[in-house]
Amino acid sequence: MSESASETDRPHDEGDELEYRTVLDAAVDAVIIIDGRGLIEFVNRAAERLFDYQSDELLGRSVNILMPQTLRDEHDGYLQRLQRTREPHILGIGREVSAQRRDGTTFAVELAVGEIKGKTPRFIGFIRDIADRQRAENDVRQMRERLTHFGRIATMGEMAAGIAHEINQPLTAIATYAQACQRLLTNPALSMADIVEGLTQIEAQALRAGEVIRRLRSFVKNHEVRREPLDPNQFIEDLLMLAQTDTRHHHVQIRLELGEQLPAVQADPVQLQQVVLNLVRNSIDAMTDVPHAQRIIVLRTRRDENGDVEFMIADRGPGLEPAAREHLFNPFFTTKTGGTGLGLAISQSIVRAHGGKVWYRENPGGGACFLFSLPAMQSK
Amino acid sequence: MQNNTHSHQPTVFVVDDDAAVRDALKFLLRSVGHQVETYASALEFLDAYRDDRPGCLVLDIRMPGMSGLELQEQLVGRRAILPIIFITGHGDVPMAVEAMQAGAMDFIQKPFHDQELLDRINQALTKDAEMRQSIKGLNGIRERLASLTQRERQVMNLVVHGKANKVIAGDLDLSQRTVEIHRARVMEKMQASSLAHLVRMVIEIGEL
Repeated sequence: MSESASETDRPHDEGDELEYRTVLDAAVDAVIIIDGRGLIEFVNRAAERLFDYQSDELLGRSVNILMPQTLRDEHDGYLQRLQRTREPHILGIGREVSAQRRDGTTFAVELAVGEIKGKTPRFIGFIRDIADRQRAENDVRQMRERLTHFGRIATMGEMAAGIAHEINQPLTAIATYAQACQRLLTNPALSMADIVEGLTQIEAQALRAGEVIRRLRSFVKNHEVRREPLDPNQFIEDLLMLAQTDTRHHHVQIRLELGEQLPAVQADPVQLQQVVLNLVRNSIDAMTDVPHAQRIIVLRTRRDENGDVEFMIADRGPGLEPAAREHLFNPFFTTKTGGTGLGLAISQSIVRAHGGKVWYRENPGGGACFLFSLPAMQSK
Repeated sequence: MQNNTHSHQPTVFVVDDDAAVRDALKFLLRSVGHQVETYASALEFLDAYRDDRPGCLVLDIRMPGMSGLELQEQLVGRRAILPIIFITGHGDVPMAVEAMQAGAMDFIQKPFHDQELLDRINQALTKDAEMRQSIKGLNGIRERLASLTQRERQVMNLVVHGKANKVIAGDLDLSQRTVEIHRARVMEKMQASSLAHLVRMVIEIGEL
């Protein structure tokens, strides 16, 4: 077939022509043949249907009318370079690109291009509509994001008592300063400096309460997933306020062991917070029977042997039963009464989506120890 | 070291892990003329506090590390008399009840009315002063009791049990005159104004 198709310098053999048209018309995928200048020589039935053109409307026209405007110049550039260098750059299989129908609407396609060798080169493109596949992938992604969001709301629900406490603190300080200022104002030996100090503190504490609420809102808001470079230690420091909202209320101390000179990681900060807060929650719950003075959670960052950044959340609870370890990351598996069993499953899916992994090990000094690692960003 | 200068004026000790609440309390208490010391943790306070310092303790019930309840337990263990007012958040009532059962003087929920807190602090300071006064009284009785000779002690024990001089003389194989002399020395050394006074003192220190 390629032999006869390459014979462009003499009329095509009618029989061959008919044969390959028949074959290509039977194909499910759209097939388009263009010459070296990008002019369409042939389209099959599936291509007519896919792009909503009749075959004779396309023949002899530039193939770039089947592309959105943004891709046309790029494509023309390829062809010009090809004519100069005779080296094809656009060959290959399975590229996902955007295509355009007659009515101007665009849609996602998978494109495979082959070269038909001859005196002048020609190219054959196989085009598959992947809108359905993309839609399905989108649905899955949205579902995962919704579940992740749900996980954050659930975590927030479990943190409610701590949150109330954390907002009550600045409110108490504000009320106390305000009452003291009123007292001072009725005192004949009034000191303006004292009043100013009181008012300054009231302002600072009101802002503090607002900051707690702002962080909670941004944590629980359904946000656009967005990867950005994060300094691992800065990330942990930023997270501390939310984490302590929970830990303080349960008499738990957080100890930081932050590694030095860590590379950045590429991550969605809210989702990563979710992973750590969820693990901190689990640790808090694991230590309800531990005496207060021993309720400690260690947050550690370090660079591991592979150069990845490793985060560790370790507690002094009873650790996990061997049987529990197996199912740890399975959805709906929980050792807590009232637990959803989704926390760890969601955490794992977040970490994996970031190209990392999460695992469990016993804390050598007793207790549970969760670790996850994320790839380091190149070039610090 | 600073104890001598403070030992007469009572101090309100504030222990709270939250710097803002701690400073606010200090600000309020100073505005009404109290002497205030603040501590960020139970351990910090335990290290610094000497039992002979009068005052009261305003204590956050919920703290990381050693909690307010655990601090209370330590103080009870070392027989400190400092009255404790717990400050609690919402939903901490069960803990507050536990604290009261362990002898806490009072608890107050955050955020509180200043007057309510100040009233409780004043009550606590009064109670602390009374306790210290009565302990001082008891220690005085014990010291005076210790100054009696063995014979005087024997006479006193029989006197407070209502024995007449003649009976005591017989029991101890002494002359009635000698008993009278010992008895007069006991009243003098114990600074007892009457027999009833002497009996009350002996009861107070649990020797009767």
